[in-house]
Amino acid sequence: MQITGMLWGRKLLDLVEFPRSEVRGPEASVEEIKAMIKKHKQLFIKPFFKGGVGKKGKSGLIGRVDNLQDALKEKERLYFATHQDGNRITKSNGVTFEGGVPADHEIYFSITDSTVYRTPCMTITHHGGVDIEELPPEKLAVVPFDPLTGLKSFHVSNALDSLGAPKEIISPLVQNLPKLWDLYNNYGMLMLELNPIRMFNNGGRLTPVACDFKCAFDQDDPAWKRLHLPDDLFASDDSEFEQEINQLRTYQGQSDVFVINDEGTITAPTFGGGANAMVTELLGEDATISSDFGGNPPYVKMNDISKITFKYWLPQSNVLFIIGGKANNTDIFETFRAMADGIKWYFQQHGPQPLFVVVGRGGPNLIRGMAYLRDTLDSLGIPYRFFGHDSAMSEVINYARAVNRWMKNGGKEEIKKSLNIK
Amino acid sequence: MHKEGVAGFPYYLGVNSLSELATKDDKVVVFNILGKESSGVTPVSHEYSGGNIVFGTGPGKSGKSLSTKAGKIPVYNSIQEGMAAGHEFNTAVVYLPPSGVKDGVAEAVRCNPKLKKVIVLTEKVSVKDSRVMRAICQTNGVDLFGGNCLGVADSWNHVRLGGALGGNHPEESLIKGSVALFSNSGNFTTTIAVYLSTAGWGTTTSISSGKDVYIHYGPQEFIHAFNNDDRSQASIVYCEPGGYYEHGLKSDKPIIACVVGRWKAKLTKSCGHAGSLSGSGDDAEAKEKWFMDYFGVKDIYTPENPVFSKKGALVTNIAHIPEALTAVMKLNGKKPDFEPRGNLSLKCWFGNNNGAVLPKELDVQQVEAIDPYNGQIDALKQQVGAQVSRETLKDASGASKMDPKTQVSQIHNVSILDASNKTFEDNLVFALTHSYPSASGTSMANAVLNAYVNLHGQPALAAATASREAGNSPNTVQAGAVSIIGKKKAQKAMDAAEALLDIFKLTDLNDPEGTFDYKSLVKGASGHKDALLGVAADPKAAKVLDVCKSKSKSVFIDFLVDFAKEQKGHVSMDSIVAAVWATLAWPSLRSKKISKTTLVRLPWYSLIYSTMVGVAAPEGKHGADSFCGVKNDDLLTNSFTRTAFLSLMGRDASEGELFEFQVLLGLIITNGPGTISAQGSKGAVSADGPEQPDRVQVNKGFIGFLTHTGFAHGGNGYEAAAFLIDQFKDTALKDPADAKHGVDLEKLAVDYAKWYGAYKQEQKGLGHLEYAKIPCVNHPVFKGKDVNVDPREEYVSKLFKDKGLYNVFLDFYHHLVEGLFKAKVTKNVYCVNVDAVIAVILLKMLWSDYKKGSIKEEDIEWASFMAFLFGRMIGCAAEIDDHTNRGKNMDTRTPASKVTYVG
Repeated sequence: MQITGMLWGRKLLDLVEFPRSEVRGPEASVEEIKAMIKKHKQLFIKPFFKGGVGKKGKSGLIGRVDNLQDALKEKERLYFATHQDGNRITKSNGVTFEGGVPADHEIYFSITDSTVYRTPCMTITHHGGVDIEELPPEKLAVVPFDPLTGLKSFHVSNALDSLGAPKEIISPLVQNLPKLWDLYNNYGMLMLELNPIRMFNNGGRLTPVACDFKCAFDQDDPAWKRLHLPDDLFASDDSEFEQEINQLRTYQGQSDVFVINDEGTITAPTFGGGANAMVTELLGEDATISSDFGGNPPYVKMNDISKITFKYWLPQSNVLFIIGGKANNTDIFETFRAMADGIKWYFQQHGPQPLFVVVGRGGPNLIRGMAYLRDTLDSLGIPYRFFGHDSAMSEVINYARAVNRWMKNGGKEEIKKSLNIK
Repeated sequence: MHKEGVAGFPYYLGVNSLSELATKDDKVVVFNILGKESSGVTPVSHEYSGGNIVFGTGPGKSGKSLSTKAGKIPVYNSIQEGMAAGHEFNTAVVYLPPSGVKDGVAEAVRCNPKLKKVIVLTEKVSVKDSRVMRAICQTNGVDLFGGNCLGVADSWNHVRLGGALGGNHPEESLIKGSVALFSNSGNFTTTIAVYLSTAGWGTTTSISSGKDVYIHYGPQEFIHAFNNDDRSQASIVYCEPGGYYEHGLKSDKPIIACVVGRWKAKLTKSCGHAGSLSGSGDDAEAKEKWFMDYFGVKDIYTPENPVFSKKGALVTNIAHIPEALTAVMKLNGKKPDFEPRGNLSLKCWFGNNNGAVLPKELDVQQVEAIDPYNGQIDALKQQVGAQVSRETLKDASGASKMDPKTQVSQIHNVSILDASNKTFEDNLVFALTHSYPSASGTSMANAVLNAYVNLHGQPALAAATASREAGNSPNTVQAGAVSIIGKKKAQKAMDAAEALLDIFKLTDLNDPEGTFDYKSLVKGASGHKDALLGVAADPKAAKVLDVCKSKSKSVFIDFLVDFAKEQKGHVSMDSIVAAVWATLAWPSLRSKKISKTTLVRLPWYSLIYSTMVGVAAPEGKHGADSFCGVKNDDLLTNSFTRTAFLSLMGRDASEGELFEFQVLLGLIITNGPGTISAQGSKGAVSADGPEQPDRVQVNKGFIGFLTHTGFAHGGNGYEAAAFLIDQFKDTALKDPADAKHGVDLEKLAVDYAKWYGAYKQEQKGLGHLEYAKIPCVNHPVFKGKDVNVDPREEYVSKLFKDKGLYNVFLDFYHHLVEGLFKAKVTKNVYCVNVDAVIAVILLKMLWSDYKKGSIKEEDIEWASFMAFLFGRMIGCAAEIDDHTNRGKNMDTRTPASKVTYVG
């Protein structure tokens, strides 16, 4: 749940009256663009990506123009630009027109919760406008502060002093930067980054003007909903499947999913954050999804999760792999009953399909749960192997992968035959 | 701002040694103690720890208590109230919902200056609340654990604080030893402890840290306390990407680090643990490096590549922890705490190939589970047969369905097209057992089904005759006869089935057609003598027994024979029926496809099957010694398909006819639970109350089916036959099976098409839109293409073609749809639908007699309707059994709010 860029950043900055560059969205008319160029002399044109996309400048995805013709050309070039970060490809849908802010100083500023200090931290430097990772530590001030009192003027002042920042920028920053704590703290943010803040000379007095914006929200904090951001702003972060599962987050129990490989052939409802980390790691590209359904979900939630998961992923799956360690408090009977009923539902809705079920699990009501699942699979004619928690999880994973390989090499046909599927 | 605690930490830390983390001196208060999670977990913690919980809170729940084996835990509205009642505590355990956690912690800190530890179990606490409650605890000198953790446990002190480490049997996992355990994963805290025991290592203190963005009690604090704990000789740190918590850990004692989650580097949002989202420099590989640098090793420890130092080892698989620990400890001159308990090899507790042939390496055999699970698995054997959850079955079925796209119906997931390749008797067995019988099973089924077809002198036949003479339709005649086959008629056979079930249910018998040593059962079954043996020798039973023994193998039949010898009694016909059906159904019972109820009631169904086939023949065909001219003894070895043909047609069938008849019946089995016949049978079961399955009258279920057929549903097959008779009556057709019939089908079809076109135009001109339609052409689904095909008809046509079976009437139908198109009566070539197949098969069988004048058109109508009832009997038997096992009382009713008054 991230926002990058000034299109939405400006609205958030306005909430705390933090000065920012003039920004127009893709709807800006020719007349408006002309007027912006006239006013600011220089215009930055940036593609608009939903979600978190960084380093647009490095990717050549920022247009810098001083006339209308170039502005329109850049608009055309960047409107549907694609940005690649590793395997992740993001496509823009629109551009922003941002007025240039002439300045001699560029500031980097961020607030995050630090795992080193276990408290919120401000990171600041007057050597901004570059990748923060590229700066040596001595050029950065990292200042932890008390979350009960928040970011104060003296934190900013002391930090800039320690960095030897030019005196003329300190006072304007001291006056304005603490406002950003309100934005961070009141709307459930996990990270807020302004880079650069350009120190605009406003008739002899410097004013910090935010020229780029980045923030991430805590999805467990409903405070961001008060911003009334459009529903689809974060939706692009998630696949359709993930969105459908996410609607179940309100219930007790985990319901985290992430699509690993939409051509995978093992679908593994996984229980526990640890199991999630390990199972996904060992299944690799065989996995369709990574999931954590632990936390003792009630029957209704687990059944809903199962139905959604099976609907999306069973058609392509060779192996349904139910895996977790020895549960402490997740009721195995309830969760297995919910999944078994989900499998039955799927077969009723979509007819039988060649599938092999592998289970590795331990925990309360284990045998009752396994028995229920066993009876369901027997009644549906699905072959299976269940392993208890005294089998190494990695061995069970290897077994599931071996079954998957066999399924790809004739096993599927064998099960089709036994299930009487033509 | 924080209180001063352990020196050297930039924040407050109170716990100096693991030995003081969870002790008998700790007194605990539990927030939201009566919540779902807490009320399940807290009693176990309380009992395990010797009663360390002083009270719990629950707004508005003051005065209540939580019962545990260690006594009741009182509940108060608030902390303040509990403290005012005189309770003292130093530890707060928080089970509040996420939005209430911060306030709960603040309240505990505010009210209790003696508070030292707060453990937050709640998941999905916002980062903001987490940072605020940490600040509150820091300011007031309180150690905070979690959130989203499972608390801490100490095997030495036998104390568990907070969540459910070790599950509901902590002793199984929390075994006293020398290893301190810290894990981001609650589940892995327990799982790793279990794994450690397989190498002989036990634990001192186990900490589930949680893996939110904030880990309040992190590895640095843990290692500090570990260093000061003399009991702990080594430590395990399980961690995931995200955060710098593990950076710079140091100890004089060995550490085994397990870092899992390299793949998480590609995550853009958290999945699994909320805090397992790395930024720059804190992904799994970075953490691996931190540890490798500290250990002074160059690689990850694996069994194949055991890389370790005195300081420790890094693993990325929790299963490698025990081995790595043992290796490192050996280097440090330390031995395991106890003899290894079990091992981590692959152990299958439940498995079934369900008919698939697996390669040897995957065909892992079941082994006995560890204690106490082995006992629980043994106890499962007492639960014989399927136990299906009951649900409302109005317009729903677990037996049949129709694919709306293909229009091909299925029974127990077998399409009727495939079912039509099976014999009548095999389908009758399949409807109830969900499995097709073996050849041996089929022979047995035929023997017992045929044994009751001849109804000479039986009331059921008298009822049918009376009904027939009163001018009733075939279904009504059948209903009259079936109403006589009440429960008492089948009771003895059902008692015998129950007895066999009782004797064999706890044995290892899986294949009743194989070999099985039942000698000890013969000795021990004397209590079932009355149910299984007759008082006098029954010649009919002896003959059926001979047939069964000569053609088939059945453990149950063999058992009966030996039991009769042992008891000096006689095998009764009822027990043979029970034994045969038990043989047919046992594998399905074992694999939970059918219930015990079904197995016991199979003889009742069997008797009804026989009766329905029997009464199709008029009374005069039932002699004392023969049925339709076939000796009773000879009938026993007949296929039941042949007997049904005999009963219906009054003559024997040729092999070709037998196949066509079988296909005919197969196609009729079901059209899904929405058909009137299925609804009738289901309604009859529903009204009896299937939640008490013993009260459901099987014969009444069949009556429900029969009364829900009629001239429009079941009897309408005759329309097509009548149409065909009309077309062919003036031709010289003698043998419809002869492809050289000499009839110009094309001309016949085109002539009719032209006539029909003119007729249709005329009727439309007259405003008669209800003009006569040609039966069995066109279909609401299979239409709209240039040439349309009903895939079901296409399948059967090919089947017959492959068998070399010609049918002039079907051939005519194909000419007809083309003729209608050529004559411009239709816009495209209509399909010949599957109902035509049923009509043409039947007419082909009857044509010769019809031409000879030995049967009349009304006889064809009768036979057509009766054939429908035979076929549908299969599907409705499945519905009756399914509804009995799965349905609810009166579940087919329509609520008053859903019905409409149209008067």
